[in-house]
Parts: sequence; structure tokens; C-alpha cells
Amino acid sequence: MTARPPIAPADAGRFDIDRRRALTLLAGGMALALSSCGPPREEIVPYVSMPEGMTPGLPLTFATAVAPFGYAQGVLATSHEGRPTRLDGNPRHPSSLGAIDIFAQAEIMSLYSPDRAQAVRHGDDIAAWSAFEGALQAQLEQEKLRRGAGLRIVTGRITSPTLIRQLQALADVFPAARWLRFEPIDDDAPRAGAVAAFGEPLVTLPHLDRAKVVLTLDADPLGPGPQQLRNAAAFAKVRQSRLTPDDFLRLYAVESMWRLTGANADERLALAPQLMRNVALRVAQALGASVDAGDLPDRARRFADAVAKDLAGNKGRAIVLAGDTQPPEVHALCHWINAQLAAPVDHLPPVDANDKSHAQSLQELADDLGAGRVETLIIIDSNPAYAAPGALKLRELIGKAPFSAHLGLTDNETAQRCQWRLPMSHALEAWSDLRAVDGTASIVQPLIRPLYDTRSAHHVIGLLHGDLGADPYALVRETWQARATGDFESQWRRWLHDGVIADSAAAPVTPPQPHLPNVAPAQGTPPLTLVLAPDPSLWDGRFADNAWLQECPRPLTHEVWGNSLKIAPQDAAIHGLRDGDVVKLAHDGVTVAAPVRVQDGQPAGVVAATLGLGRNAAGAIGNGVGFDVYPLRGPAAGWHIEGVTIEATDQRHAPPTTQHHFRLDAEDKDILRTLAIDDLPRGTASSQDRGESLPSLLPRQNEDGYQWAMVIDTSVCIGCNACIIACQSENNVSVVGPEEVEAGRIMHWLRVDTYFLHEKDEPPGFQPVPCMHCEHAPCEPVCPVAASVHDGEGLNAQVYNRCVGTRFCQSNCPYKVRRFNWFAYSHDQAYANLGADTVTAQYNPDVTVRGRGVMEKCTYCVQRISRARREAEKTDTPIPDGGVVTACQSACPTRAISFGDLNRKDSSVNALRHEPHHYAMLGHLGTRPRTTYLARLNNPNPAAQDDGA
Amino acid sequence: MSSRDDRAKEALRWIAPAGRSIDAVNAIVAAPLLERQRWSWRTWWIAFAVSLALTGAMAISIAWLLIEGIGIFGNNTTVVWGFPIANYVWWIGIGNAGTLISAMLLLLRQHWRASINRFAEAMTLFAAAIAGIFPILHLGRPLYFYWLAPYPNTMALWPQWRSALIWDFWAISSYILFSLLFWYIGLVPDLATLRDRAKGTMARTLFGIFALGWRGSARHWHTLHIYHMTMACLGVPLVVSLHSVVGLDFAASLMPGWAETIFPPYFVVGAMYSGFTMVIVLAAAVRWGLRMQALITIEHFEVMAKMLLAASTIMTLSYCTEWFTAWYGGEGAERRLVVYAFTGDYRVLYWLMLVFNCVIAQAFWFPAARRSIAAVVTIGILINVGMWLERMTIVLNTLSHGYAVSMWRTYAPTLWDFLLLFGSLGFFALLFLIFCRALPVVSMHETRRLLSAEAQP
Repeated sequence: MTARPPIAPADAGRFDIDRRRALTLLAGGMALALSSCGPPREEIVPYVSMPEGMTPGLPLTFATAVAPFGYAQGVLATSHEGRPTRLDGNPRHPSSLGAIDIFAQAEIMSLYSPDRAQAVRHGDDIAAWSAFEGALQAQLEQEKLRRGAGLRIVTGRITSPTLIRQLQALADVFPAARWLRFEPIDDDAPRAGAVAAFGEPLVTLPHLDRAKVVLTLDADPLGPGPQQLRNAAAFAKVRQSRLTPDDFLRLYAVESMWRLTGANADERLALAPQLMRNVALRVAQALGASVDAGDLPDRARRFADAVAKDLAGNKGRAIVLAGDTQPPEVHALCHWINAQLAAPVDHLPPVDANDKSHAQSLQELADDLGAGRVETLIIIDSNPAYAAPGALKLRELIGKAPFSAHLGLTDNETAQRCQWRLPMSHALEAWSDLRAVDGTASIVQPLIRPLYDTRSAHHVIGLLHGDLGADPYALVRETWQARATGDFESQWRRWLHDGVIADSAAAPVTPPQPHLPNVAPAQGTPPLTLVLAPDPSLWDGRFADNAWLQECPRPLTHEVWGNSLKIAPQDAAIHGLRDGDVVKLAHDGVTVAAPVRVQDGQPAGVVAATLGLGRNAAGAIGNGVGFDVYPLRGPAAGWHIEGVTIEATDQRHAPPTTQHHFRLDAEDKDILRTLAIDDLPRGTASSQDRGESLPSLLPRQNEDGYQWAMVIDTSVCIGCNACIIACQSENNVSVVGPEEVEAGRIMHWLRVDTYFLHEKDEPPGFQPVPCMHCEHAPCEPVCPVAASVHDGEGLNAQVYNRCVGTRFCQSNCPYKVRRFNWFAYSHDQAYANLGADTVTAQYNPDVTVRGRGVMEKCTYCVQRISRARREAEKTDTPIPDGGVVTACQSACPTRAISFGDLNRKDSSVNALRHEPHHYAMLGHLGTRPRTTYLARLNNPNPAAQDDGA
Repeated sequence: MSSRDDRAKEALRWIAPAGRSIDAVNAIVAAPLLERQRWSWRTWWIAFAVSLALTGAMAISIAWLLIEGIGIFGNNTTVVWGFPIANYVWWIGIGNAGTLISAMLLLLRQHWRASINRFAEAMTLFAAAIAGIFPILHLGRPLYFYWLAPYPNTMALWPQWRSALIWDFWAISSYILFSLLFWYIGLVPDLATLRDRAKGTMARTLFGIFALGWRGSARHWHTLHIYHMTMACLGVPLVVSLHSVVGLDFAASLMPGWAETIFPPYFVVGAMYSGFTMVIVLAAAVRWGLRMQALITIEHFEVMAKMLLAASTIMTLSYCTEWFTAWYGGEGAERRLVVYAFTGDYRVLYWLMLVFNCVIAQAFWFPAARRSIAAVVTIGILINVGMWLERMTIVLNTLSHGYAVSMWRTYAPTLWDFLLLFGSLGFFALLFLIFCRALPVVSMHETRRLLSAEAQP
């Protein structure tokens, strides 16, 4: 199209610069330097202390919210001298409860991502906002003549009251314009199911903490998503060792692929998605419905009967949840079952104001574009060109709009097909507001002036109103001024301080009694089916440019930088496939090349893949990673595709994985111990296991003062990886890239080991492994230069400056928790564009960035201990229990990690170390680790198992 | 007297008729140095060119290593040690035999050693020096290797004396120093002989300088003898301690397959084993290339083959002891490691190692095999490969398959690993080739001494 080449950073070095130009650039650079980073112009109210109390070197914390899935997740942002470095959960926020998931944490990396869109572009040329504004106003003049009939605004899920207000007000100016809302990970089926059951699209919020028996049908309450943190916290409450077996939750999962819920279930059944309705019908039968339940395989029937019995016996404390792959009528049936069970669930009016289904919106957009009815296409932070079902051909259609503009954080696939590409401000750069799933509103306050010449969605919608100077701050205040009662200013400050707007949550409604829907049972064996799911690390692909998330090991498979097609061993045998073989996955003439992974626990006849990979406009980090399954989706999106074919090829390519061995043999069982809750009173662990009674020739460490220790409860570790990313962002842990991961050199200080303990298709166990901080640390005596030393508080410290890199310490570490800088990962040998200056802005200034050739490892967040000690010494009091919270601990949604002082008799770690199921990993080696574990408790039902009666 | 007869007979056995005069000995040994035109040196030049090229490869890989960092090797977070450590142990093992032959056989009055000890000592020196490079190159930050030394510094930092690597540092340093002194002082009378026989001024001056004014007086000989015996008494414990310390690098840990008390003696025998095989290979090369058939006889090969047979048997016994204790100890991780060695990812290496180290040397039960130079050299080379594989499997099996099941991972070397290994072999060959052209490869004065027993029946 255009003759001029695009201006990309890679080309910058090729410019010929003469004296005049050099001076121009120099002057420009100085001007930019003077006007760059700093606090935003508007007032920000701190969460912890007032701005006037700011001391250089001491970070400030602000409450705000981010929206990884469109819904608010309340966060506390840490800012060092006006530079946000880290996000933590906000305990006051109902979708956080003090925890934070991997996506929200990684927003900080997105802020500094070198792949961000940094300037307005018209075609491939850099343009100015004023040029866009001029062009837009001209276009809008025409739209006004036809009352906006050609105007289409495409957004993701919008929960911002201010933005909704702006969009609705737009209807006054352009009554014929349409607002289309599209999320690739849609909620069409649950909404339609709720409409079928209750007559309105109510959102169901389960209260797992009030449940005794839960059955999920491909639902993933513990998996990634806007409800994960809330559900996980509730789950943890009913999986505590102190509960009697009668109060201990029993979780049943029926799954068409491994999800985190199934991985944490007591009993899991792998089943094709089409057959799950028969399980639900069997449960309905047991509750008195006279329905035809169809047929099920033996094992599934036994499972369904056991579940039905368990559910029926626990009325008032039993929940059934249907998931994405299930059609609306199964959701409706589950609503009926829940009503019969008097299930502890809340029904809430939806926050999402757009009542069209996502599939409808997209279909409408495709139809309008195809018919040439779209004159002005404004896409705000959405990527239909990549994520729309392939059958809609939106990729090609977007280019048909005469005037198109995309506002987004990156120049993604959609932006590249629009005439105008507009850079969007990050959530930490602009004012906004957001609602959580339950309706709780938060004010989003910026922590930093925009790094580039970016605008927020409020501003761009303002432009559509003809307001060139739309100020998000004023707009948001306007929204809430109208809803405030009493003194607005003091309330505003309170809301900013708390991070939530009090009493803004929607009240649960009491829906009408759902009637029993007419659900026909499934018959026969379904054809080969492809099940889709959001990616556990990249969600729908919007995080593909985020290096932390690309390198975050997927639960169970530990794959990074790529995905694979999960296939059952039976199917793999039929096709002669093994791990890493590339197959051609085809449906309706669309073919995708995908490496397979043979996965026990995958139902036969069902293959599974995650969405969100295979992007080609995600920048240097995300391009070409994995394969893209969106093209296989039919026009109605849908979560399973029947009748796919797979054909072996002679190619091989497997995504790198960070764990290769998942099975614990008999002699290794003690590494991760499991125990049925019924057996707990008899206990397992003894002091022998803690290594305390083993004789030792080594002198005892000095045990005065603080003695730090960590206890990790594997019962409630759901494998969500929040701790891994928390550690990475707190401790400046390098991203190494796919080649280095493949070479076995991932740098994460904390890993979450996944072990299959029984049969390989039964739920595994998760075990977070940071440094053990052994009292008799094997790494210390072998270091020739004393770089690995013990400190007076029981920490095993690594002195980076002293390390010469013999790696003897890691050789001799039985837990293999040390990480070596084979290259200068954080300096001149960084992966892709991660050596860019913006990335360094994220670094926590309290933690050394390690250089090439030195060993590093978990420090128990020694910088946080140091901060707590300084605070305590100011008042001359000891650090209280809970006064030091490590990064991994702070992120954990289930509070599986406890940290504290062993010398304090009443500390939580001391209490946990006396639990009957407490043990030290490899304690028999006499290393006396300070990080110890609680055995994984489960609550199996023998009746649901293979050999059950 | 009968003992004198025995000695005479012994001398007859160790020196072929062509070398049975003092002049003949001097002439044979000095010929490559002083009468170079006597035969064509084409083979030498080809060997020189090849080893120079390999040395270049080593230089390039070291340069690249220092530029890029040790990430260029195939190591990973689980298998943090790889080729450099195995190379180090292997080279230091090679470097063991010279001292054993010189010192231990001297003390045991095995006079046949006279014709092989010189180049064996040179081999020791070169191998130990090369071995000393690897622990430095394998460091993450090689420029700070001197932090292992207790040098005065403003931060009052001292090495960490409990670390086996520190013991290693001292063991290697003292061993290299010892080898150099022992070798050089042994050379002095020969340098004087060469000085006296040299025809050119240049050669005479150079040999003269390094001969340190040796005049061959009775007092000189007496001092040399005392010195030699004293050094030998120091050397034998030193060589044993050196290899014990190398064994402790592994044994002073708590990893399965490493934390074994048998490691120190087993490493000493292993070192002797690989060192002797290298001596045999070099002896064959020297004998053929420098026309030393009169001084290095089939008898030498036979007796060295017997030593290999003994060492091989001891090695086999050591392996069996390892397996037995793993089973008898009852520790799950130890037992699993033995199973893993036989059936796991490196099983091919392990089986090859067992064949090379334990089985093929059994051929030396037959005199025909012992007396065939081709057989002895072939078996010797295979044993050297086997000993390298042994060090490699010791490092790899334990690290790949330790206690942390989730971290089990295999190791795959890169091009740079191989370049550095073969480059070091080339560098060794280069040094040895230069030595052959610059210094007497056989100790003239000790061979003369052996001969004198025969000359005066």
C-alpha cells in the first residue's frame, strides 16, 4: 500500500544522522527528559500514608483496580518515587480479598512492555492525535447526518459506570449507532441458561465456603477468571485440617479436559462434554425429577450415582455448577438442581450492561461489515481480528470499513487492519472506574503520568461526543458526584483510600423458582471433539505480549512459551502419536498444525486446546508462540467443536516445559504426602521427619532473636501460580525466553511442583517449592568463597557480590532450588526486547538485579524482613506475628503459605509446625529445613471410584 | 654375586642390543634433538598442524566463553556441572601417572621405569596444567578465580575452608609445583649431556643455561640422588592426596551416588588407570616416531599391560562395591540411582564405560595381547575413553536424577563443550610434540645407570 517503510524500533539504528538532526534530537531528548515520569497531575490519595509523608526510598501504596477480564480486581499498587513497581491484592475488595492472580500482577509488566503502542499511527505512519481528531470530526459530521447509522463501537466487556454512562449518552447524539461487545472468553451459555431458568440473565455466585458437596460439570470455579480469588478463598475455608470430616468439602469434578478444579477435586471423572448432561440428568432423577437420563459408561454411571447420593444427602450444603462447554439447557437444569438442593448460591443482576450475547454482537458486526453498512468503526481495547471465530472472517472484513480506528495497549491484529491505530493509556496511567462481578465499584486512579502520548477510552468516547478535551478525571468524578450522598470530597477521598466504593455491590435477588427444563439425554458415542478453554497463562491472548505470563508454567503440564493439543492415551495409540508430534487438526476445511501432548485423564475421543496463542501481532514477545485455535471456531463461538479430524505429520515440536517428571514412585512418596481427612486423627508425620531428632556433628545455629520459618499447606494449594509471578515481580527475577527454558534454565525462585500420586488420571497434588532455608544447609559448606552463608535469623543468604559461580551449592542442594545466571538475562543478553530501558523501570529498587555468572535463589523476601525490622525498631517493639509477609504469601488466594518467627511461641508457623500432618520434605537427610509442609488432605468417596462398590 | 646377575639380566631384558652401550644410549636419545636430518619429520609436522588447529579451536572456544558466559555450555539448572568438570577430573587423572611412575616405581626400585619416566613426567606436567584450566573456565565469573586463594584484601575475606573446592585448589597447585620441580631437576644431567654434545652455539648456550652448571661430579650425583628419593617420598602421598581430594569434590556432599566413602581411593586407582594408559599410548608414539625401539621394548609394554590388568580389576571391584553398598545401605535414592545408571538416560554411556574399563583389559591375561603393541595401544585408548565416560556418568547420573523428582532433567552437550574437550587434547598434543623436539624424551642418565649394571657383570 504505502511506499514508506514502517518506523519500527529495529530500524532506528539505520538512520543517517547529520549535525542538524543530531542537535534537534538532543534538544528534543532534553525536553522529554524534563517532562517525563512523574506523579500524575491530579491528586492521588494514598492508601497507607499521606503524600506529604513521602520519604525518598520508602515506597507508597495506593489503592486502585485493574481489569484483566473486564471485571475489577482491587489492587494495592506500590510506587517508588512515582514509579509503580508492584501490584498486591486489596483486602477490602470482594474480588481480591487481599490476594491477586497472575494476570493482575502482570499488568505492571504490561505497563512497561516495550511492545506497547507508543504513538498514533495512520496506516504505517506516525501521526498526531490532532490529525486523528480532525479526521474523526469530519467523519462524525457525516455520521450525524445519518443519525449514526454507520457508526459501530466495538468494545470488550465494559464494567466502568463512567464509560457505560458515556456510551449510553452517545445514543442521544447517534441514535442509530450500535455498541457491540465482544469477549472471546464469553459467558453466553450461562446467561442464556439463567434466562431460561429465571427469565433474566442473573449471575450465579457460589458460596463454596458454605458447601459440603460440590459437583462441577466442566465448570472451573478454581481456574483462572474473575471469580478465581473469591472461590479459592472460600474453597480454602472448607479444606482446613481442623474441620471434622463432616464439614470438610468434597469436590467432584466431571471434566472434558484438565482444569484446576478437577486437579483439586477429590473425585474426578473424565467425560466427553456432550455426555455431561446425562450426569446432570441422573442427579436430577435422584432429586425426584422424572426424566430420561440416557446412558453412561460404567465408570461414569457409578460416579454419577455416588455424586447424586452425596448431593441429595447434603441439601442446603450442596452445589452443582455447569461450565462453559455446557449448553444453556444444562445450565438451566443445574439451576433447577440447585433450587432443589437449596444450594448456597447468590443470584445477582449482571454488571455487564450490554444484553446482547457476544456471539450475536459479533455476527451483527460481521453482517454489517459484509453488507457495507459500517462507515465508522471504532474498536476500543478489543481484538476481534484475532479472537473472533474464524468462520466469521472478521479478519478480512474489518478492512472494509471506510473509517476505522483501534484504541489499544498494543498494535494488535485488529489495529493493523484499521486505518487509525491509537495508543491507549494503561490502567495505571489514567482515571477510570470499574465494577467487580458482584457490582462492587472501585475508582481506578493513575500512579504515573502516561509513559507515551496515550489516551484512555473515556477520552476517545469523549471525542465521539465531539468533546476534544474529555478529561477522565472529571468524567469519573461527575459519575460519582451524582451518586454521592453528603459530602462528596470526603467520600471521594475515602473511596480512593479504600479502593472500593462502600455499599456499591448489588444486592442478591431472589429469583423465581426455576422450572425443570426439558433436556434430552445424549445418545451414542460423540465423534472426535475438540474442547477449547481459556489459556491458564494468557487468557484469551490479550496477555501474549507479557513476558512474565508467557513464561508462567501452565498448571499440570508446566508448558511455557507455547501450547499443545491434549490427547488421551487411547486416542494417541490409535493415531500412533507421542508427545511433541505435530498433527493437522482440521474442521470444516480449516486446518491448524498443533503439537500433541498425551495426557492421562483426558477423556477418550476428546482433544483439548487452549485459546490465546499463535498470535502474529503481539510484538517481539508474543509473536508466533504456539498455535491458534480461534480459526476452528464456528460462527456461534462455542466451547467444543464436534467432528474434528487429526492427521499425523512427520514434524515434531513440543513447547518447552519446566517439569519433566510428574510421577512419584513409592520411594519418593514422602516428598508430597497425601492423607484422607478421615485418617488425619491418626496422623502421619513424626518429629523424625522434621530431622530434629537426627544426631548431627554440626554445631547448632545461633537461635536467639528472630528465627524465620515458612509452612506451606499443600491441602489448599490450588496450583494457580500467583506465588510464582508475585515472587518474580518482587524479586526482579529474569525472564529467560523459550530457548533458555528449553535448555532447562528457567529462573523462577519458586516453583509449583505437580505430582501424580496415585493413578495418572487421578487429581495430582501441587507443592510450591521455594528455598528451604535449611538449618544445616548443604549449600553452605561446599561454597569455596563463602558466598552461601547463614545469617543470625536462620536465613540461608546468598552474597551475589562474592559468588564466583562454581555452582557447587546447586549440585549439593537436594531440593534444587537455586538458579544460576548462565547469561546476563537482565542486562545485555536479555531475551528479545526485554533489555529495553522501560523494563528496568519495573524493578524493585530494594532487590539487587543479578548479573551474569552468579547463583541466586529465594531469600524469604529479606528486603521485606528488613523493612519490618526497621519499622519495629522505630518503636522499639519486636516485629509482630504477621509483620513480615513474603511476596508469595501475599498473593496466595487460599493463604496456603504462612511465614513467621519460630522463637515467638504464639506465631502461626509454630502452631502449624505442631499439626499432626506437618512434615519436612526430605527431612531424613538431616538438613532441618525451615520451609516445611502440611500434607495434602483430601476427602475421597470410595463409591465413586473404579473399584468402588 | 647373584643379585648383581639379576640386575644384569634385568638390564638385558629392558634394553635391546642396539642400545647396549653408554654412547648408544646417548646417541639414540640425542638424535631427535641434535641430528634432525637423520629422518623425515613429515609425520611430526602433520601432527603439529592438526594439534595447532585444535589448539586454535580451544583458544576460540575460551574466548567465546569469556565473551558470552558459560551459558554456551549444555548445562542446565539441574545438571549444573558437565564437560568441564569431567574433563578436569580426567586430565588430572592423566596427570597422575607420571608421578606414580617416577616416584612410586623409583621407591619400589623398578629400574625399567628409566626409559619411560621422562616423557611420563612431561605428560603429567602438561595434563595437570590443562586440568587446572578447567575449574577456572567453568566458573560463572572466571575473572574472580583468585578469590579461592587466601590473599590479603581490604574486606578481610578468606576462603571457606570447609569446601572441597578449596582443598582442590591447594591440591592442584601443590601438585603442579611438585611435578615441575621433579621433572626439571631430573632433566638437569641430560641437559648437561646435550650441552656437551651440541654442535651449534645456540643449542649449546640454551642447554647450558638450563643445565645449571652441571658438571657430573660425584657430589652432584649424590645430591641428585638424595633429592630424587626425597621428592619421591613427598610425591607418592601427594599424588594420593590429590586424587583423594578430587574424589572428595563429590564425596563431601549429600547427593546419592556421590556421598560415598569409597570415592577417594577409587579416584586414586582410576587416575592411575587412565594415566598409565596414556603413558602406553605416548610410549608407542615416542618409540615409533623417535626411533627408540632399543630403549622402549616390548617388555615395557608387557609390564605396563599387567599393571592395567590389575587396575582394571580394582576398578571393577570398586564399581561392585558401589552397587553393593547402594543395595545394602537401603537408601531409596541410592538404589534408584544405580538402577538409573543401568537403565536411565545415560545407560549407553554407562554400559560402554563398564565394557571399556572392566571387560576389555581382561585380554591382558593372555601374553600375546600384552606383547602386541597394537593391542595394548588400542585397549589403552579405549580405556581412556572409558575413564572419561566414568567421570561423565558420575557427574550426570547424580545431578540428573537426584532427590527432587520434579527437577529431574537430562543434559545435552553443545558444540562448545566438544570444542573445548578436543581443543584441550590438541593443546596437550601440541605441548608434547614441542617437548619431543626440544628436550630428551628418555632420561639418559637413568638409562645409562640401568645399562651400567649390565656393563659390569
